[in-house]
Amino acid sequence: MASITQTVSVRRQRFSPSSILRSVLGSQESVLLLALILLIVWVGSENRQFLATRNMVNVFAGNAYIAIAALGMTMVIITGNIDISVGSLMVTLSMLSGAISVYDGYPSWVSTDLTIALAWVLPVIVGALVGAIIGFIVTYLRIPAIVVTLGFLSILKGLLIIVSGGDRITGMPKGYALAQIRPLEDVSMPIFPAFFQTLTMPVFFMVILTILVALWMRYSPTGRALYAVGGNAEAARLSGISRHRVVMTAFILNGVFVGIAAVMNATQFSVIQVTLPPIELTIITATVVGGVSILGGTGTVVGAMLAAIFLNTITKALVFLDISPFWTRAIQGMLILITVLADLYRRHRQSA
Amino acid sequence: MTAHETSQTRIAPAWTQQLRALLRSQESVLLFITVIAVLILSTQTDKFLTVRNLLNQGRLMTEIGLIALPMTYIIVTGGIDLSVGSIAGLSAIMLGYGWYNLGLPLELAIVLALVIGAIAGFANGLFIILFRVPPLIMTLATLAFYRGLAEGIAQARSVRDYPEWFYALGQRETLGIPNQLYFLVIAAIITAIILSRTTFGRSLYAIGNNELAARFSGIPVRRNKLIIYTLSGFMSGFAGYVLVSRVSTTRSDMGSGWELDAIAAVVLGGTSIFGGSGSIVGTMIGLVLIQLLKNGLALTGVTGDATIVVIGSVLILSTLINSVIQRRVEGL
Amino acid sequence: MRKFLTLILVLSFVVAPFSVLTAAAQDDEDRWDGADDLPVNPLPCGDEEAPAPEPKDYDGGQPVDPPDLAGEDIVLVDVPKLIGIGYFAATTLGQQQAAEELGNVEVTTDAPTEGNIDEQITFIDNYITRGVDGILFAANDPVAIGPVLKKALEAGIHVVGYDANAVPDAREWFVNQAEFNGIAKALLDSLAAEKGEDASFGIVTSTFTTPNQARWISEMWAYANECYPDMTWLETLEAQEDYNLSFEQSNTLIDKYGDELDGLFGMTSVATPAAADAVTQASLCGEVAVIGLATPNAMKPFVNDGCVKSVVLWNPVDLGYAAVYVMRAIVDGTLEPGDTEVEAGRLGTLQIVNGSEVLLGPPFIYTEENINDFDF
Repeated sequence: MASITQTVSVRRQRFSPSSILRSVLGSQESVLLLALILLIVWVGSENRQFLATRNMVNVFAGNAYIAIAALGMTMVIITGNIDISVGSLMVTLSMLSGAISVYDGYPSWVSTDLTIALAWVLPVIVGALVGAIIGFIVTYLRIPAIVVTLGFLSILKGLLIIVSGGDRITGMPKGYALAQIRPLEDVSMPIFPAFFQTLTMPVFFMVILTILVALWMRYSPTGRALYAVGGNAEAARLSGISRHRVVMTAFILNGVFVGIAAVMNATQFSVIQVTLPPIELTIITATVVGGVSILGGTGTVVGAMLAAIFLNTITKALVFLDISPFWTRAIQGMLILITVLADLYRRHRQSA
Repeated sequence: MTAHETSQTRIAPAWTQQLRALLRSQESVLLFITVIAVLILSTQTDKFLTVRNLLNQGRLMTEIGLIALPMTYIIVTGGIDLSVGSIAGLSAIMLGYGWYNLGLPLELAIVLALVIGAIAGFANGLFIILFRVPPLIMTLATLAFYRGLAEGIAQARSVRDYPEWFYALGQRETLGIPNQLYFLVIAAIITAIILSRTTFGRSLYAIGNNELAARFSGIPVRRNKLIIYTLSGFMSGFAGYVLVSRVSTTRSDMGSGWELDAIAAVVLGGTSIFGGSGSIVGTMIGLVLIQLLKNGLALTGVTGDATIVVIGSVLILSTLINSVIQRRVEGL
Repeated sequence: MRKFLTLILVLSFVVAPFSVLTAAAQDDEDRWDGADDLPVNPLPCGDEEAPAPEPKDYDGGQPVDPPDLAGEDIVLVDVPKLIGIGYFAATTLGQQQAAEELGNVEVTTDAPTEGNIDEQITFIDNYITRGVDGILFAANDPVAIGPVLKKALEAGIHVVGYDANAVPDAREWFVNQAEFNGIAKALLDSLAAEKGEDASFGIVTSTFTTPNQARWISEMWAYANECYPDMTWLETLEAQEDYNLSFEQSNTLIDKYGDELDGLFGMTSVATPAAADAVTQASLCGEVAVIGLATPNAMKPFVNDGCVKSVVLWNPVDLGYAAVYVMRAIVDGTLEPGDTEVEAGRLGTLQIVNGSEVLLGPPFIYTEENINDFDF
């Protein structure tokens, strides 16, 4: 409880102009936001096409599923754990969602709408179940998360290939394509109407979920307990927080968000294929670039979301700047390093 | 452990105690699991338990083994190195680039590859000690960066047609034993002795247990960390060279995914991911167990997709069994 | 000590980005160089007949003292690049069909779950130890797979490749689904037919080092220079074997070039449907043509709604089928070095080209009329 009163008193002091500036640059979120804006403006001035509405929409939408999965990863990492099985889990759940939607052996009373609803909801529930299993092994059987999820990475991948046999899923029913819906298509926004009209569902999911989770983590007892467990497990235990319950919650929610990300991913396309890129690395990168400390205890989901968008912007920017594709990965790696270093530097100064 | 030992002092003579402690150690439990697995697999096929097959498996696991050794050091200190596969790829590319594009003598190109590996590891270590970047984050960034350098330098070209002597390390045998296996065994013995018998080795455990305390007790924490990350880079570079010699060509995607294989061997070997405990012997048993499982299952007709399911389950289950046994021992 | 280290660090920080950027800027794209500078051999333009290739002596390898199993049951293993993707599921299907027809062949498919040469070598090595009569493979790297295949030949095991070749002396025969230059011609001719001979196009491929894709692209480069000098080659992007990334990279190309972009080539069975998805969702069907290599099932939605006019591919089921027949013919002694053709069941007689390659035929072009006749 002591830490909360501290934040309150700190916040009261922040009213002079210089302190406002310091607080703007004082968090990884604002640094990332600034970097993002500068990058967009700079690339836009080099190549006007970059600022075209469609590209701007794609800049925000492209990594939305990464950002959604990063919500759960943020929680897991804040409690001092990690999950490297999310990539395999996401592909498995995407295939599951597609398979439910095209399955034709339902009894006659099951309408297409119900099928579609099942295809959207069941992967999330299965994700939560897998998260619960992982969380159970990590907390109650006391096996380090990296070992458990390393194991699950293999197990899920193997099972997926055995079950799917490399088949692809097509012919999903009409109305299944949740991620292709443009909710504001008929709404005329006062600013950038074209931009908002073409925004697709994943962006809305990303933004709304991030806001909800950010509020939850900040104001609800369980949300705050995540930080307490990661920051100082012993103190958390003494203050009456059940470490096991909190870590379980983090893993279950992680499964839920991977499930949502999987549905976003599956409903984006007309073909669902088993491809197993190492997206767990992208998700973890987004999380740490967003300012989540790998040692647990600090970081926010807003940072992770901005970082996911930032990573996608870099990938696109390098193409628009005509950088040789042979060198893009090296430059991406360097930029990741620089953002992380900037975050560390800022933290060192603040703690000094 | 100490409580257990003192309670037993009066009843049993010293050597029985030691034997008991040894039998209950992580390594013995794992060795027991390995022996069981080998016995089961050998009843399923007579192709498995042959000298020829086992030596051949030794050849195939050398690269991961060479990387898993320094990885044990790093994990013992509570760190991690995710960039090893990318360093191996970068070194492999530099070997080919130095020889083919820069026109260096091949011997010198090999040295260049090893030096590049060491520098890459040194850079990891330098950032980790100077800016206190958490190792996971640092090496996650260099995982992308070093791989990117390899791709950029290679320009999607591979270098092949090396002189015949170059393949000796990766493809030939001496006294019936694959050449690279000698290097793995020697490296394992040396690293095992250093970890268990020297001040340097003990300092790594100290760092892993409590870095601050280690620093206050006068251990050169930063220097030692720098050394192990550089070693990790060097060994990854060496593993890259061994792979090029075994497969006779360079590709910029070489070594991708090795980091997880090496970490799996280390944690299966009983090294705690939180630092402070672990051993090279355990890592080697872990490495052998994974390799033999893959091989044995393949020989009994289990396909690759089912094999990775088994490996994943074994990783979790054997860690579970070991942690239950260790807790019992401590609880006594 | 500390000062010295900081100095090194600062220096490296200044030098590294600078050198990377200068190196990046220096790339000249005079010639596509993703294919190890192997010679290109563009086919003649349009409908002109290709000159008959010069006959070449057999250049494959031979197994050492293989047991005589003519007419007897044989056990084969098939090690494709990876398992779990539709393309190799289709080749496996073809192999099973051939095995069933022949009755005296048993074939199992087993491979790593990622297209990783290192793992593929381990798989082949295990099967040499286990003892099989023949190995079918599709190589992740032509050179790297060489040593282990030679080891198989030395052990008296027959070795036949399909889809992705190895160095010739590491296998006996290679079933070539279509020549690299034939694929290049089919792709570019399709684009020209759809968008004219002055079209501008982008390419989405897996990686620049994937051998088959790199060779196709380099042949496209040569053929376009020869036959379509007015076409503009805008950009080639990597997207791994990743559907999402392929979709995003296609979007990036569409957004960057806008109206300038007339066509998108997908070089893999992942990239092509992803590119089609991107074009469909951008409502640019008809304006941006999507042409590429893909299996029919993945492309049916796009071909049926008219967004994609032509998909170029051989029939992978036939490819797997032919590979088993070629293997059977070697074991039975009906296909020997120097032969010019081989019987392959329902496919009839296949020609031998390039010394030791069995040619499946010209690439097949799937269109709205015929795509629904295929199911793989």
